[in-house]
Amino acid sequence: MALALSIRTIAPLTHESDAELIQRAGEGDRSAFDTLYRRYARPVFGLALRRLGDRGRAEDAVQETFASIWRSARTYKPERGPGAPWLYAVARNAIVDRGRARPEPPTEPPDEAGTDPGPPERAEQSWVAWRIHRALEELPEREREVITLAYWSGLSQSEVAEFLGIPLGTVKTRTRTALQRLADILDGELE
Amino acid sequence: MTRDFDDLVGGEGLGPGEEERLRRVHDLLVQAGPPPDLTPSLEEYGAHELPDADAELVQFPLLPRRRLAAAVVLAAALALAAFGAGYLVGHRKEASFDARRVYTMHGADGAIASILAGPRDEVGNWQMHFNVTGLPQQAEGGYYRLYLVRNGKPVVVCGSFRVNGKTTKLVFTVPYKARNFEGWVVTRQAPGHHEPGPVVLST
Repeated sequence: MALALSIRTIAPLTHESDAELIQRAGEGDRSAFDTLYRRYARPVFGLALRRLGDRGRAEDAVQETFASIWRSARTYKPERGPGAPWLYAVARNAIVDRGRARPEPPTEPPDEAGTDPGPPERAEQSWVAWRIHRALEELPEREREVITLAYWSGLSQSEVAEFLGIPLGTVKTRTRTALQRLADILDGELE
Repeated sequence: MTRDFDDLVGGEGLGPGEEERLRRVHDLLVQAGPPPDLTPSLEEYGAHELPDADAELVQFPLLPRRRLAAAVVLAAALALAAFGAGYLVGHRKEASFDARRVYTMHGADGAIASILAGPRDEVGNWQMHFNVTGLPQQAEGGYYRLYLVRNGKPVVVCGSFRVNGKTTKLVFTVPYKARNFEGWVVTRQAPGHHEPGPVVLST
Protein backbone atom coordinates (compact mmCIF):
# COMPACT_ATOMS: atom_id res chain seq x y z
CA MET A 1 0.00 0.00 0.00
CA ALA A 2 1.45 3.30 -1.06
CA LEU A 3 1.68 5.76 1.77
CA ALA A 4 1.61 9.41 0.79
CA LEU A 5 2.12 10.86 4.22
CA SER A 6 5.20 12.91 4.71
CA ILE A 7 7.20 12.48 7.87
CA ARG A 8 8.46 15.92 8.61
CA THR A 9 11.60 16.93 10.34
CA ILE A 10 11.30 17.34 14.05
CA ALA A 11 10.71 20.92 15.03
CA PRO A 12 11.86 21.95 18.48
CA LEU A 13 8.96 22.16 20.86
CA THR A 14 8.34 25.47 22.44
CA HIS A 15 6.03 26.24 25.29
CA GLU A 16 5.67 29.89 24.48
CA SER A 17 2.10 30.92 23.98
CA ASP A 18 0.83 32.20 20.66
CA ALA A 19 0.35 35.61 22.25
CA GLU A 20 3.96 35.78 23.39
CA LEU A 21 5.19 34.76 19.97
CA ILE A 22 3.00 37.30 18.17
CA GLN A 23 4.24 40.04 20.45
CA ARG A 24 7.86 39.07 19.85
CA ALA A 25 7.25 38.91 16.10
CA GLY A 26 5.80 42.40 16.38
CA GLU A 27 9.11 43.51 17.79
CA GLY A 28 10.88 42.07 14.74
CA ASP A 29 11.92 38.75 16.28
CA ARG A 30 12.28 36.40 13.32
CA SER A 31 12.73 33.26 15.40
CA ALA A 32 9.36 33.91 17.05
CA PHE A 33 7.86 34.37 13.62
CA ASP A 34 9.42 31.11 12.45
CA THR A 35 7.91 29.31 15.43
CA LEU A 36 4.51 30.77 14.64
CA TYR A 37 4.91 29.67 11.06
CA ARG A 38 5.81 26.11 12.02
CA ARG A 39 2.86 26.06 14.37
CA TYR A 40 0.28 27.52 12.01
CA ALA A 41 1.36 26.91 8.42
CA ARG A 42 -0.62 23.71 8.06
CA PRO A 43 -3.76 24.99 9.79
CA VAL A 44 -3.71 28.07 7.53
CA PHE A 45 -3.07 25.94 4.47
CA GLY A 46 -5.89 23.60 5.45
CA LEU A 47 -8.27 26.51 5.99
CA ALA A 48 -7.29 28.03 2.65
CA LEU A 49 -7.69 24.74 0.81
CA ARG A 50 -11.18 24.26 2.21
CA ARG A 51 -12.22 27.79 1.28
CA LEU A 52 -10.50 28.14 -2.08
CA GLY A 53 -10.36 24.55 -3.30
CA ASP A 54 -7.13 25.06 -5.17
CA ARG A 55 -3.62 24.34 -3.93
CA GLY A 56 -1.99 27.18 -5.86
CA ARG A 57 -4.40 29.80 -4.60
CA ALA A 58 -4.23 28.31 -1.11
CA GLU A 59 -0.46 28.58 -1.19
CA ASP A 60 -0.76 32.25 -2.15
CA ALA A 61 -3.20 32.78 0.69
CA VAL A 62 -0.78 31.21 3.18
CA GLN A 63 1.96 33.52 2.00
CA GLU A 64 -0.30 36.54 2.25
CA THR A 65 -1.45 35.48 5.70
CA PHE A 66 2.05 35.30 7.09
CA ALA A 67 3.09 38.51 5.36
CA SER A 68 0.12 40.13 7.10
CA ILE A 69 1.08 38.60 10.43
CA TRP A 70 4.62 39.89 10.08
CA ARG A 71 3.41 43.38 9.22
CA SER A 72 0.62 43.65 11.74
CA ALA A 73 1.87 41.63 14.72
CA ARG A 74 2.71 44.84 16.54
CA THR A 75 -0.98 45.77 16.53
CA TYR A 76 -1.94 42.64 18.45
CA LYS A 77 -3.22 43.39 21.96
CA PRO A 78 -3.02 40.39 24.28
CA GLU A 79 -5.50 41.94 26.69
CA ARG A 80 -8.16 41.61 23.98
CA GLY A 81 -7.81 37.86 23.73
CA PRO A 82 -5.52 34.93 23.02
CA GLY A 83 -3.42 34.65 19.90
CA ALA A 84 -5.18 31.84 18.06
CA PRO A 85 -8.38 33.79 17.26
CA TRP A 86 -6.31 36.78 16.15
CA LEU A 87 -4.28 34.58 13.81
CA TYR A 88 -7.45 32.93 12.58
CA ALA A 89 -8.94 36.33 11.76
CA VAL A 90 -5.83 37.40 9.87
CA ALA A 91 -5.84 34.12 7.94
CA ARG A 92 -9.53 34.32 7.17
CA ASN A 93 -9.17 37.87 5.84
CA ALA A 94 -6.23 36.91 3.63
CA ILE A 95 -8.12 33.91 2.29
CA VAL A 96 -11.26 35.97 1.61
CA ASP A 97 -9.10 38.53 -0.22
CA ARG A 98 -7.53 35.78 -2.26
CA GLY A 99 -10.98 34.45 -3.07
CA ARG A 100 -12.06 37.86 -4.30
CA ALA A 101 -8.96 38.19 -6.46
CA ARG A 102 -10.30 35.61 -8.86
CA PRO A 103 -14.10 35.41 -8.85
CA GLU A 104 -15.66 32.03 -9.00
CA PRO A 105 -17.01 31.11 -12.44
CA PRO A 106 -20.78 31.51 -12.77
CA THR A 107 -22.67 28.32 -12.05
CA GLU A 108 -26.21 27.20 -12.53
CA PRO A 109 -28.34 27.34 -9.38
CA PRO A 110 -29.03 23.88 -7.99
CA ASP A 111 -32.48 22.41 -8.55
CA GLU A 112 -32.78 21.17 -5.01
CA ALA A 113 -31.52 22.32 -1.68
CA GLY A 114 -28.10 20.81 -1.09
CA THR A 115 -27.02 18.91 1.96
CA ASP A 116 -23.74 20.80 2.22
CA PRO A 117 -23.28 22.70 5.48
CA GLY A 118 -24.25 26.37 5.43
CA PRO A 119 -21.88 29.24 6.19
CA PRO A 120 -22.26 29.08 10.00
CA GLU A 121 -21.58 25.34 10.04
CA ARG A 122 -18.62 25.72 7.70
CA ALA A 123 -17.19 28.45 9.88
CA GLU A 124 -17.52 26.24 12.95
CA GLN A 125 -15.92 23.30 11.15
CA SER A 126 -13.09 25.54 9.99
CA TRP A 127 -12.44 26.75 13.50
CA VAL A 128 -12.46 23.22 14.91
CA ALA A 129 -10.09 21.98 12.22
CA TRP A 130 -7.88 25.02 12.76
CA ARG A 131 -7.53 24.34 16.48
CA ILE A 132 -7.05 20.60 16.06
CA HIS A 133 -4.39 21.00 13.40
CA ARG A 134 -2.66 23.70 15.40
CA ALA A 135 -2.70 21.48 18.51
CA LEU A 136 -1.23 18.61 16.50
CA GLU A 137 1.79 20.79 15.78
CA GLU A 138 2.53 20.83 19.49
CA LEU A 139 2.75 17.06 19.80
CA PRO A 140 6.11 15.33 19.82
CA GLU A 141 6.84 14.02 16.34
CA ARG A 142 6.44 10.36 17.24
CA GLU A 143 2.97 10.98 18.69
CA ARG A 144 1.85 13.16 15.78
CA GLU A 145 3.05 10.46 13.44
CA VAL A 146 0.94 7.81 15.14
CA ILE A 147 -2.15 10.01 15.19
CA THR A 148 -1.75 10.87 11.52
CA LEU A 149 -1.37 7.25 10.54
CA ALA A 150 -4.04 5.91 12.88
CA TYR A 151 -6.74 8.40 11.94
CA TRP A 152 -6.12 9.37 8.35
CA SER A 153 -3.94 6.87 6.52
CA GLY A 154 -6.49 4.10 6.24
CA LEU A 155 -4.08 1.70 7.92
CA SER A 156 -5.19 -0.59 10.70
CA GLN A 157 -3.30 -0.30 13.98
CA SER A 158 -1.43 -3.50 13.19
CA GLU A 159 -0.39 -1.98 9.86
CA VAL A 160 0.65 1.23 11.60
CA ALA A 161 2.80 -0.83 13.96
CA GLU A 162 4.35 -2.67 11.05
CA PHE A 163 4.92 0.53 9.11
CA LEU A 164 6.65 2.22 12.03
CA GLY A 165 8.43 -0.93 13.16
CA ILE A 166 7.12 -0.71 16.70
CA PRO A 167 4.96 -3.10 18.76
CA LEU A 168 1.18 -2.81 18.52
CA GLY A 169 1.03 -2.02 22.24
CA THR A 170 3.32 0.96 21.67
CA VAL A 171 1.02 2.27 18.95
CA LYS A 172 -1.91 2.10 21.36
CA THR A 173 0.08 3.72 24.15
CA ARG A 174 1.26 6.54 21.93
CA THR A 175 -2.25 7.08 20.58
CA ARG A 176 -3.64 7.36 24.09
CA THR A 177 -0.82 9.63 25.24
CA ALA A 178 -1.29 11.84 22.19
CA LEU A 179 -5.03 12.14 22.84
CA GLN A 180 -4.35 13.07 26.44
CA ARG A 181 -1.86 15.70 25.35
CA LEU A 182 -4.29 17.08 22.78
CA ALA A 183 -7.02 17.17 25.41
CA ASP A 184 -4.71 19.20 27.65
CA ILE A 185 -3.83 21.61 24.85
CA LEU A 186 -7.46 22.05 23.84
CA ASP A 187 -8.82 22.14 27.36
CA GLY A 188 -11.60 24.71 27.55
CA GLU A 189 -11.20 25.86 23.95
CA LEU A 190 -13.62 23.63 22.09
CA GLU A 191 -16.71 23.17 24.18
CA MET B 1 -12.49 5.08 7.00
CA THR B 2 -14.32 5.87 10.25
CA ARG B 3 -12.07 5.17 13.19
CA ASP B 4 -13.58 3.75 16.32
CA PHE B 5 -12.45 5.02 19.69
CA ASP B 6 -12.63 1.62 21.33
CA ASP B 7 -10.52 0.15 18.55
CA LEU B 8 -7.90 2.89 18.61
CA VAL B 9 -7.65 3.72 22.28
CA GLY B 10 -10.00 1.64 24.38
CA GLY B 11 -11.31 2.64 27.74
CA GLU B 12 -9.39 0.19 29.89
CA GLY B 13 -7.79 1.83 32.86
CA LEU B 14 -9.44 5.17 32.22
CA GLY B 15 -11.77 6.85 34.66
CA PRO B 16 -15.17 7.92 33.29
CA GLY B 17 -14.15 11.57 33.15
CA GLU B 18 -10.89 10.87 31.40
CA GLU B 19 -12.51 8.53 28.90
CA GLU B 20 -15.09 11.17 28.06
CA ARG B 21 -12.33 13.74 27.62
CA LEU B 22 -10.40 11.49 25.23
CA ARG B 23 -13.54 10.53 23.31
CA ARG B 24 -14.19 14.23 22.79
CA VAL B 25 -10.71 14.71 21.29
CA HIS B 26 -11.17 11.57 19.21
CA ASP B 27 -14.43 12.96 17.79
CA LEU B 28 -12.75 16.28 17.02
CA LEU B 29 -9.92 14.53 15.19
CA VAL B 30 -12.42 12.64 13.07
CA GLN B 31 -14.38 15.82 12.45
CA ALA B 32 -11.33 17.89 11.54
CA GLY B 33 -9.86 15.48 9.03
CA PRO B 34 -6.18 15.41 8.14
CA PRO B 35 -4.14 18.57 7.84
CA PRO B 36 -2.72 19.00 4.36
CA ASP B 37 0.93 18.48 3.60
CA LEU B 38 2.65 21.74 2.83
CA THR B 39 3.90 22.39 -0.66
CA PRO B 40 7.71 22.48 -1.07
CA SER B 41 7.80 26.25 -1.21
CA LEU B 42 5.73 26.51 1.96
CA GLU B 43 8.02 23.98 3.64
CA GLU B 44 10.98 26.16 2.74
CA TYR B 45 9.45 29.42 3.78
CA GLY B 46 10.63 31.10 6.94
CA ALA B 47 11.36 34.45 8.46
CA HIS B 48 14.57 34.65 6.46
CA GLU B 49 12.34 35.42 3.48
CA LEU B 50 10.83 38.51 5.05
CA PRO B 51 11.91 42.10 4.77
CA ASP B 52 12.73 43.84 7.99
CA ALA B 53 9.47 44.97 9.51
CA ASP B 54 11.12 48.32 10.24
CA ALA B 55 12.59 48.73 6.78
CA GLU B 56 11.79 52.11 5.34
CA LEU B 57 9.55 52.05 2.29
CA VAL B 58 11.09 54.48 -0.19
CA GLN B 59 9.10 56.18 -2.93
CA PHE B 60 11.08 57.77 -5.71
CA PRO B 61 9.97 61.17 -7.02
CA LEU B 62 9.23 59.73 -10.43
CA LEU B 63 6.44 57.69 -8.93
CA PRO B 64 3.22 59.62 -9.75
CA ARG B 65 1.15 60.51 -6.73
CA ARG B 66 -1.84 58.64 -8.05
CA ARG B 67 0.14 55.46 -7.82
CA LEU B 68 1.05 55.85 -4.17
CA ALA B 69 -1.88 53.82 -2.98
CA ALA B 70 -0.99 51.07 -5.39
CA ALA B 71 2.58 51.23 -4.18
CA VAL B 72 1.44 50.70 -0.62
CA VAL B 73 -0.42 47.62 -1.78
CA LEU B 74 2.69 46.52 -3.57
CA ALA B 75 4.68 46.98 -0.43
CA ALA B 76 2.24 44.64 1.21
CA ALA B 77 2.99 42.16 -1.52
CA LEU B 78 6.73 42.36 -0.94
CA ALA B 79 6.88 39.41 1.31
CA LEU B 80 4.75 37.52 -1.17
CA ALA B 81 7.31 38.23 -3.84
CA ALA B 82 9.95 36.81 -1.55
CA PHE B 83 7.98 33.75 -0.53
CA GLY B 84 8.77 30.57 -2.31
CA ALA B 85 11.69 32.09 -4.07
CA GLY B 86 14.14 30.35 -1.81
CA TYR B 87 12.75 27.11 -3.11
CA LEU B 88 13.27 28.19 -6.69
CA VAL B 89 16.87 29.23 -6.20
CA GLY B 90 18.20 26.26 -4.40
CA HIS B 91 16.16 24.82 -1.54
CA ARG B 92 18.33 26.35 1.11
CA LYS B 93 17.86 28.63 4.03
CA GLU B 94 19.63 31.93 4.00
CA ALA B 95 21.06 33.94 6.79
CA SER B 96 18.77 36.68 7.95
CA PHE B 97 19.08 39.76 5.74
CA ASP B 98 19.18 43.12 7.41
CA ALA B 99 17.04 45.17 5.03
CA ARG B 100 17.27 48.90 5.64
CA ARG B 101 15.11 50.16 2.80
CA VAL B 102 12.46 48.68 0.58
CA TYR B 103 11.79 49.83 -2.97
CA THR B 104 8.85 48.64 -5.01
CA MET B 105 8.54 48.26 -8.76
CA HIS B 106 5.62 47.43 -10.96
CA GLY B 107 4.88 46.90 -14.62
CA ALA B 108 2.33 45.64 -17.08
CA ASP B 109 0.20 42.53 -16.52
CA GLY B 110 0.66 42.57 -12.78
CA ALA B 111 4.43 42.18 -12.78
CA ILE B 112 5.90 43.38 -9.51
CA ALA B 113 9.32 43.50 -7.94
CA SER B 114 10.91 44.59 -4.75
CA ILE B 115 14.39 45.64 -3.80
CA LEU B 116 15.47 45.12 -0.23
CA ALA B 117 18.50 47.26 0.36
CA GLY B 118 21.02 46.19 2.96
CA PRO B 119 23.58 48.27 4.83
CA ARG B 120 26.81 49.42 3.21
CA ASP B 121 29.95 47.52 4.05
CA GLU B 122 33.18 49.23 5.07
CA VAL B 123 34.15 50.00 1.48
CA GLY B 124 30.74 51.20 0.34
CA ASN B 125 29.24 48.14 -1.31
CA TRP B 126 25.74 47.05 -0.40
CA GLN B 127 23.58 44.08 -1.19
CA MET B 128 20.24 44.35 -2.85
CA HIS B 129 17.86 41.42 -2.63
CA PHE B 130 15.80 41.67 -5.77
CA ASN B 131 12.57 39.67 -6.00
CA VAL B 132 10.55 39.76 -9.18
CA THR B 133 7.23 38.12 -9.97
CA GLY B 134 5.15 38.07 -13.12
CA LEU B 135 7.70 38.77 -15.85
CA PRO B 136 7.40 36.36 -18.75
CA GLN B 137 10.17 33.92 -19.47
CA GLN B 138 12.16 35.01 -22.50
CA ALA B 139 13.25 32.99 -25.48
CA GLU B 140 16.76 31.54 -25.59
CA GLY B 141 19.32 34.35 -25.42
CA GLY B 142 16.91 36.95 -24.10
CA TYR B 143 17.24 38.35 -20.61
CA TYR B 144 16.36 41.27 -18.34
CA ARG B 145 18.47 44.05 -16.86
CA LEU B 146 18.03 46.10 -13.74
CA TYR B 147 19.14 49.70 -14.28
CA LEU B 148 19.42 52.77 -12.11
CA VAL B 149 17.76 55.75 -13.75
CA ARG B 150 19.01 59.30 -14.10
CA ASN B 151 17.35 62.07 -16.12
CA GLY B 152 14.66 59.60 -17.03
CA LYS B 153 17.08 57.20 -18.71
CA PRO B 154 18.55 53.88 -17.63
CA VAL B 155 22.22 54.62 -17.08
CA VAL B 156 23.82 52.18 -14.62
CA VAL B 157 23.44 48.40 -14.76
CA CYS B 158 22.90 46.73 -11.40
CA GLY B 159 22.57 43.25 -12.85
CA SER B 160 21.24 41.02 -15.59
CA PHE B 161 18.97 38.07 -15.09
CA ARG B 162 16.58 35.59 -16.58
CA VAL B 163 13.27 34.45 -15.12
CA ASN B 164 11.17 31.33 -15.26
CA GLY B 165 7.81 33.07 -15.34
CA LYS B 166 7.19 32.67 -11.61
CA THR B 167 9.07 34.36 -8.79
CA THR B 168 12.78 34.87 -9.18
CA LYS B 169 15.01 35.98 -6.36
CA LEU B 170 18.41 37.48 -6.97
CA VAL B 171 21.10 39.12 -4.94
CA PHE B 172 23.23 41.88 -6.47
CA THR B 173 26.04 43.76 -4.81
CA VAL B 174 26.53 47.32 -5.99
CA PRO B 175 28.53 50.40 -4.90
CA TYR B 176 26.10 53.07 -6.13
CA LYS B 177 24.25 55.51 -3.94
CA ALA B 178 20.56 55.15 -4.67
CA ARG B 179 19.85 58.72 -3.62
CA ASN B 180 21.91 59.96 -6.56
CA PHE B 181 19.39 58.41 -8.94
CA GLU B 182 15.72 58.74 -9.67
CA GLY B 183 14.85 55.10 -9.33
CA TRP B 184 15.19 51.75 -11.05
CA VAL B 185 13.81 50.18 -14.18
CA VAL B 186 13.95 46.68 -15.58
CA THR B 187 14.42 46.41 -19.32
CA ARG B 188 13.76 43.50 -21.63
CA GLN B 189 16.89 42.65 -23.58
CA ALA B 190 16.60 40.84 -26.88
CA PRO B 191 19.30 38.31 -27.78
CA GLY B 192 22.48 40.02 -28.89
CA HIS B 193 21.29 43.52 -27.92
CA HIS B 194 23.18 45.32 -25.19
CA GLU B 195 21.66 48.81 -25.29
CA PRO B 196 18.77 49.30 -22.86
CA GLY B 197 15.65 47.62 -24.22
CA PRO B 198 12.00 48.43 -23.53
CA VAL B 199 11.15 49.15 -19.88
CA VAL B 200 8.98 46.43 -18.33
CA LEU B 201 9.16 47.45 -14.65
CA SER B 202 9.79 50.74 -12.93
CA THR B 203 9.84 52.23 -9.45
